[in-house]
Amino acid sequence: MNDLVQNALLNVNIAAILPSLILVCFGMGLLLINVFLPRGTTRHAVWISLIGLAVTGFFVYTGWGNPQYGFNDAVAMDNFAAFFSITFLVCAALTILMSDDYLRREGYPVSEYYPLILFATAGAMWMASGTDMMTIFLGLEVMSISLYVLAGFFRGQVKSNEAGLKYFLLGAFSTGFLLYGMALIYGVSGSTRLTEIGVYLKTHASLLDNPMTLAGLVLLSTGFLFKIAAAPFHMWAPDVYEGAPTPITAFMSAGPKAAAFAAFLRVMEYCFFTLKPEWTAMLWVLAVLTMVVGNVIAIRQTNIKRMLAYSSIAHAGYVLVGMVAANEIGYSGILFYMLAYTFMNIGAFAVLVLAGKKGEDNLTLEGLSGFGFKKPFLGVAMTIFLFSLMGLPPTAGFAGKFYIFAGAIKAGYIWLAVIGVLNSAISLYYYLRVMVYMYFRDPEEDYAWVAMPGAVVVTIIIAIAGVFYLGIMPGEVMELAKQAVF
Amino acid sequence: MASLLFYILGFIMLTATLLCITRRNPVHAVIYLVVGFFALALMFYLLGAPLVAAWEVIVYAGAIMVLFLFIIMMLGLAPQELPEGPNWHRWGPLVLLSSSLMACTLLLIFQDPAATEIIGTYYLAPQELGEALFGRYALAVEVVSFQLLFASIGAYMLGRSLPKEDDES
Repeated sequence: MNDLVQNALLNVNIAAILPSLILVCFGMGLLLINVFLPRGTTRHAVWISLIGLAVTGFFVYTGWGNPQYGFNDAVAMDNFAAFFSITFLVCAALTILMSDDYLRREGYPVSEYYPLILFATAGAMWMASGTDMMTIFLGLEVMSISLYVLAGFFRGQVKSNEAGLKYFLLGAFSTGFLLYGMALIYGVSGSTRLTEIGVYLKTHASLLDNPMTLAGLVLLSTGFLFKIAAAPFHMWAPDVYEGAPTPITAFMSAGPKAAAFAAFLRVMEYCFFTLKPEWTAMLWVLAVLTMVVGNVIAIRQTNIKRMLAYSSIAHAGYVLVGMVAANEIGYSGILFYMLAYTFMNIGAFAVLVLAGKKGEDNLTLEGLSGFGFKKPFLGVAMTIFLFSLMGLPPTAGFAGKFYIFAGAIKAGYIWLAVIGVLNSAISLYYYLRVMVYMYFRDPEEDYAWVAMPGAVVVTIIIAIAGVFYLGIMPGEVMELAKQAVF
Repeated sequence: MASLLFYILGFIMLTATLLCITRRNPVHAVIYLVVGFFALALMFYLLGAPLVAAWEVIVYAGAIMVLFLFIIMMLGLAPQELPEGPNWHRWGPLVLLSSSLMACTLLLIFQDPAATEIIGTYYLAPQELGEALFGRYALAVEVVSFQLLFASIGAYMLGRSLPKEDDES
């Protein structure tokens, strides 16, 4: 009995989960503080969550280059996890900054919103640092359950309810696939540790043709691809992104997507490196399908939130190209791209928050007529983010796409890179159309735009700084990304 | 013997869950689901995991299904009028399934536990399960406990009364 306790304590390594632990503690502390404050006060929650994210970021930063493994190898806080953690923290911080004024405007000044974002971020960090199927699965669940609630946060709005319920039902369904895949892989290999599975599959090569292994691999991929919103598992994304509160849409399209990529990448690289030709062939097809479906359907959208949802599907396709490449530059390109995408996408959604009217989001293309002249700062900011989403230099989007396609070419997938570039060309059409409406149309009616609160402006300025920093000087961050991949 | 029981239980489980998702009456569906859970519990027992079998009965077939029934009754989803006649086609399948389940259970009870062959390759003693949970999977247990907190906050958020519109004016 004593042995048992001692063994369990020996395996505890708090350093391996310190960042997420701090974040969760801040979240729970915030919940406790909320009890003693009157309903409707939210300013303190914004500050406390931002401080929590900063402290967490500090501990992630100090842990760089000093990988920590703990809990019997259930979790690994290595450079890979640290890089992704920084992405999630940036994503959460920008989301929280732009949320407060939006929630007040819409009449939901509820402070429980902020702990839920912190918990979702902690879940994402567990996904990125998990080296055990259980840790990854539970991280995914923590993240998803917080997001289901956040997507349906505006309970008085039918669209938000629809988004929450749809995300919940389809998310639960996809989790079933993921769990089934994990169970089959566990059945084949007898372990849930990623490295042990990889070694077992390598030493028992006959298992690679076993239908159970392949079925497990396919089901596992399905679960992750659903979270990534890759075609043909993308159907939920436009409805959920449209209905969810705009800051949450921004959060969902960047942070959790990056988390799913992180876990997907680690599982594939640790467990199934022996099956690489099989899964790269599978992802090749899915990458092309995702890029084409996202970009072609985005052309037809008149609601900007829906358009950005399809554009986010297309971007998932570009990132999958990096996974198909499966070499150092492709993988580090993924890490770089997810960080760049966080800045540009959250920036674009922050502009949309300020484009709205009270009680009603103003999200159609028509509604943005003349926006660029009425609000010059927001117009220029939106233009920068759209240029970055298109992938034009000198923005972060260009550098990210450059690395990913370079990885594909280096791995010999010339055609995949060509298809990717062609898809970027298609995307020019619908991004440019937003600019045409902003600058070349006169507003049909003159209405009062919402005021520009300082916090959202700060969000936009940080996002612009990020886009230009990653676009003009991508070398430093790319160097860190290269240290982070396996 | 054990593998024969395995197939019988598998058949009962599949039939019960199939009937569960095709019934229009939610109360009937829940009853079939309970039968399915009992069959699953016996299967865990056969596979060499008696503790998991007990949990299956206590937690799923017991607590969660009672909660389901309670909610169905509370929301008034059960049909109000009772059909006439004996209605063999309604409760016939249930009687067949549960009596064969009963037969399997009695067979396993009256058999000498030491002589019971299991299908699985490993007999999981409760102590080992506990050691695995708090040793190898300690982090997972902790994360689950966090997750229950988040889920309850989420349920509270979605379930509480809406903020009044006139608060701000």
